[in-house]
Amino acid sequence: MREIAIVPLQEFEVPLEAENIRPDLFATLSLEEIRDLEVWEGNRKRVLSDLFSVADDDGTGECLIRLDGDFSRVKRIGEGMREGKILVRGNVGMRAGSGMHGGSMQIEGDAGDWLGREMRGGSINVKGNAGNYVGSRYWGERCGMRGGEIKIEGSAGAYLGDHICGGRIVVKGDAGDFPGASNRGGAITIGGDAHLPGAEMVSGAIVVKGRARVLPSYGFQETAEIEGKLLWKFVGDLVEKGKGELYVALVEDDGQLDK
Amino acid sequence: MIVEDVLCPFCGCLCDDIRVEVEDDRITKVNRACRLGASKIRGHERIKAPMVREDGELVETSYEEAYRRAAQILYQAKRPLLYGWCSTVCEAHKKGILLAEEVGGVIDSTATVCHGPSIIGIEEKGLAGATLGQVKNRADLIVFWGSNPAEAHPRHSLRYSTNARGKFTEGGRSDKKVIVVDVRKTRSSKNADKFLQIRPGTDYEVISALRMIVGGNGDLLPERVAGISKDDLVDAAEMMKAARFGAFFFGLGLTHSRGSYKNIDNGLSLVNELNSHTKFMIMPMRGHYNVSGFGQVCAWETGYPMAVDFSRGFPYFNPGETAACDVLANGEADAALVVAADPASNFPRSVVEKLAEIPVVQIDPFENPTTLISDVVIPSAVAGVEVEGTAYRMDGLSLRMKKLVTSSYPSDEEVLDGIIEEVRRLGDDN
Amino acid sequence: MIIKGGIVYDPTNGIFGEEMDIFLDGGKVVEEAKGEEIDAQGLLVMPGGVDAHTHIAGTKVNTGRIMRPEDARSGLEPKTKILRPCTGYTVPNCYAIGYRYARMGYTTVFEAATPILEARHTHEELEEIPIVDKGALTLFGSNWEVLECVRDGDLDKLAAYVAWGLRASRGYGVKVVNPGGGEAWGFGGNVKGLDDPVPNFDTTPREIIRGLVKANEMLNLPHSVHLHTNNLGKPGNYTTALETLDIVKDIAPTRDRQVLHVTHMQFSSYGGTGWRDFKSEAPQIAEYFNRNDHVTMDMGQLIFGNATTMTADAPLEYSNARLLHAKWSNHDIELEESSGVVPLVYGRKMPINAIQWAIGLELALLTESPWKTLLTTDHPNGGPFVNYPEVITLLMSGAKREEEMATLHELVAKRTVLPTIEREMDWGDIAVMTRAAPAKVLGLAEKGHLGVGADADVTVYDLRPEKIDPARDHKRVKEALGRVKYTIKGGEVVVRDGEIVAVPRGRTYWVDASVPEKDAERVQADLVDKFDKYYSIQKSNYMVQDAYVTNPVVVKAGVI
Repeated sequence: MREIAIVPLQEFEVPLEAENIRPDLFATLSLEEIRDLEVWEGNRKRVLSDLFSVADDDGTGECLIRLDGDFSRVKRIGEGMREGKILVRGNVGMRAGSGMHGGSMQIEGDAGDWLGREMRGGSINVKGNAGNYVGSRYWGERCGMRGGEIKIEGSAGAYLGDHICGGRIVVKGDAGDFPGASNRGGAITIGGDAHLPGAEMVSGAIVVKGRARVLPSYGFQETAEIEGKLLWKFVGDLVEKGKGELYVALVEDDGQLDK
Repeated sequence: MIVEDVLCPFCGCLCDDIRVEVEDDRITKVNRACRLGASKIRGHERIKAPMVREDGELVETSYEEAYRRAAQILYQAKRPLLYGWCSTVCEAHKKGILLAEEVGGVIDSTATVCHGPSIIGIEEKGLAGATLGQVKNRADLIVFWGSNPAEAHPRHSLRYSTNARGKFTEGGRSDKKVIVVDVRKTRSSKNADKFLQIRPGTDYEVISALRMIVGGNGDLLPERVAGISKDDLVDAAEMMKAARFGAFFFGLGLTHSRGSYKNIDNGLSLVNELNSHTKFMIMPMRGHYNVSGFGQVCAWETGYPMAVDFSRGFPYFNPGETAACDVLANGEADAALVVAADPASNFPRSVVEKLAEIPVVQIDPFENPTTLISDVVIPSAVAGVEVEGTAYRMDGLSLRMKKLVTSSYPSDEEVLDGIIEEVRRLGDDN
Repeated sequence: MIIKGGIVYDPTNGIFGEEMDIFLDGGKVVEEAKGEEIDAQGLLVMPGGVDAHTHIAGTKVNTGRIMRPEDARSGLEPKTKILRPCTGYTVPNCYAIGYRYARMGYTTVFEAATPILEARHTHEELEEIPIVDKGALTLFGSNWEVLECVRDGDLDKLAAYVAWGLRASRGYGVKVVNPGGGEAWGFGGNVKGLDDPVPNFDTTPREIIRGLVKANEMLNLPHSVHLHTNNLGKPGNYTTALETLDIVKDIAPTRDRQVLHVTHMQFSSYGGTGWRDFKSEAPQIAEYFNRNDHVTMDMGQLIFGNATTMTADAPLEYSNARLLHAKWSNHDIELEESSGVVPLVYGRKMPINAIQWAIGLELALLTESPWKTLLTTDHPNGGPFVNYPEVITLLMSGAKREEEMATLHELVAKRTVLPTIEREMDWGDIAVMTRAAPAKVLGLAEKGHLGVGADADVTVYDLRPEKIDPARDHKRVKEALGRVKYTIKGGEVVVRDGEIVAVPRGRTYWVDASVPEKDAERVQADLVDKFDKYYSIQKSNYMVQDAYVTNPVVVKAGVI
């Protein structure tokens, strides 16, 4: 294992874009070359060593990048990575792991919006909370995440797994509005509550172990037992002739829905 | 002198039949405009001269000095935001985009606080639209959803929609049916044949229920959806299907309630599906007279209609990250240029506080609450009254605004040119 | 300027691969000139390319951009000292359009469809497209005034209205799309053939086409009527196309050109009774063109991958969107037209797409005279214009076609005759299809050739025609066609070694046709009534103002 440690030298006044922080790229470079990699501070082009201290343990084999400190204003970390590991000992900014194909990312703090956007493979684990649009697609595209796995120990924001076409997202806490919208084959499990899951879902599955409001365009089928818990099973979204499966423990019932 | 067929620089209706009387280069009378439009054309108290903030106070200065100070602020910034553009002409938009390229900034319009979600919905589904004259000549069913034209677009009904008369709608209002969907009774709902009063935040569900009925799956619906009985929903859906030409107009009640762009997305699908039964169109009721124009110019110049980030030299677009409210709320912007808009009044309080923390340059004919938090204030001529130029109506139709009186102030375009020149000078020096 | 020693292809002037010098001065080709020397020794030299049919400006193009942020993710080029930033592939921004055409050696491009009411928008975008000269064709096929004149058989009034519509839109020619269908679509309908009546207007597509072709010739317009046929895009539509070609055969053109140009013929050359037995009828269409000289066409070649379809044929777009469950934008224009935009992907393994791809090539290869078949992809309907080098190499190389066909759905071999075609075009054919013929079809006397008096628009390719065999070295040829050695526009070098080095503003062509006063007055009386009752704007605000065409070339035509 070769471990590269990166520590911010300062608090960042404006956000950075650092898509070059990816282990499969680092693996091919010397420490000097890594320090010289391009990173953008707002509209200013910098090199990594202008803004971070970078240390190399000169190990061999798979590359691990350790990010120590607050990276919540650093965007695009691990974008498109195919192998290796990233360990973030703090928070991470927007679009971390977007377009990721392989390898793994462990985030000990919180993750920003668009975590794992259009992810194709690999795994992301978040100890804290994640923002909006986890595993989603880019605007106008038909597919978000297609493969891999995202696990969030805390809660996720709105539009979780929007247009997910494959892969798996597990959130231990709550999700916000519209998780799994336009799902075409992905699997989403939410430990807590959610609002209007599976809007325009075509296929795939969404499990809400807490409370959720269910769209009137879902058909109730039966009860089902999942991981020892009795859940209501719905099929939809019927406005899209969908055959997606939606499981909900507590259906928000304010007199509008039968269940 | 009487100037005929003047365009009104107020709302997205962009009425072009206003008659203005001008004496001694002053506007003395405005006919045919609504109260809102007439007041806008007559104008009010102007910013007298350029100002810069010295020791906390705004003090008068020259245009040259104001351009220099504005250029320094924008040139030095690492993530400047160039915001506004709704109440000026497209010629100014083009300069704004050029300036954003020059300073590597983020440019966005007031869509961020109005119909931005509508545009995102369109990116998902496309938009089944038409010009307003098509509605006037053909529509026999009008739906207003979360919009109240009687208050916000006063001449919409008579010129284009519920009360307009055209080739196939000679009877006017008596030939048409009107459905209003809103969370409260409004002046517009009083004119409706059918009013669906829905609970706040349930628009998405109600639209899904209508899609179920239109798609032939109404029998699977529960008896009530979001407080509306199934019978009422079926009735509304049948009215839509029975129309010869339906027109669905929506406002901020739909874009800014819970569900946001997903509400629009769903509404666009409803209209798409209604087209397999009859002819139906849908249109956002744009607020400011040329916010639509900014979207058009930005799209042909950058490929995207709003929220464009030039920090890497090419356009990047990601509402939620690069929209004006996002850039400010996330504490990303380190300077701002505000043109022809008033974010201090229209943004959420927490966002205004962020704006107040960074250097702000304002270009506007009129003082407004944003002036109070600005560091450089540059008064300009009133577009569409003192300056000619292009504006786009809510249906995307472009028209040329007239110059009615002369102004001692430079146009927004000229002010922006002055700043661009100074920015380029700074670039050459470094 | 002197372009020295090039191997010149200038079909208009009968020059096919002669080594010669070209002299440029004052923006024109001249007998003799001094100044900068461009070393083109042994290199392929042609007039600047002319695109007679592309969708690059106006409401529907911008609608395509707005509804497709995913398209703008590709084609990114950052700003430079002289270039604005670029985005997009199927719906590029204005700057990308100008730069990319110039890099391929094109210097004149015509937007193919603009409604009068929204022409101001079209010109706003055309003004922003750098380098190339341009023009816009104006839509007339579902316009109420046109329908009423045709119904009443009043050709004088029709011609006067067409003249006024061209002036109001600052348009160059008469475009007709699915005649009558745009009006029917106002209430969700369509017309199904040449004799299907247009609802509420008591006329038919046949009458509209004949009326407008006659009016076009009465006005002596530089271009003929430019037609998108009825039933376009539907299986079995080749009969409609053949019938359409025949109904204008008796009308004599008043200029030395076709009497009708049928555009993107690929989409109108379909056989079969449905999609299941869908097949090519391109040989029948080509045969018609080989036997008749009164019509021309352009290919509308399909390119695999992403496309954004956009057309005034709004009912077609609705059925496309329903069929593909794709995004759908529609836009009806009061009293005039309707239109639609639908993004789609053409797949090599999709039988229908593979057959469509072959049809475009069959049309070009089976039609003997290259003067009758312009090279287009109906950008971005068949695919983006940046793929012209691909199309050219397909026409020039049988080996390339075989390689491609091997990657396609096998039905391409059964439902088309493309595998049996051996023709390989030469540089003369290509120079005709991309320069001489489009200029002639459009009636642009100073474009598409290098004779004295022609505009100083020249392409120098980094290809040695005497040393390279395009049939074999098609990869190298394609590369060189996409990245020219020099593009010279108006006597100025704008591209050198594939890079833009200067960004002059292009000009905009429009036609000002005179008509008898009495007819003009009758039209005005009608229009006053229409604006009073039906349009949503005032008549005085309708016409495109001069402020929107700041560098015009006004071509005079008319009956007086």
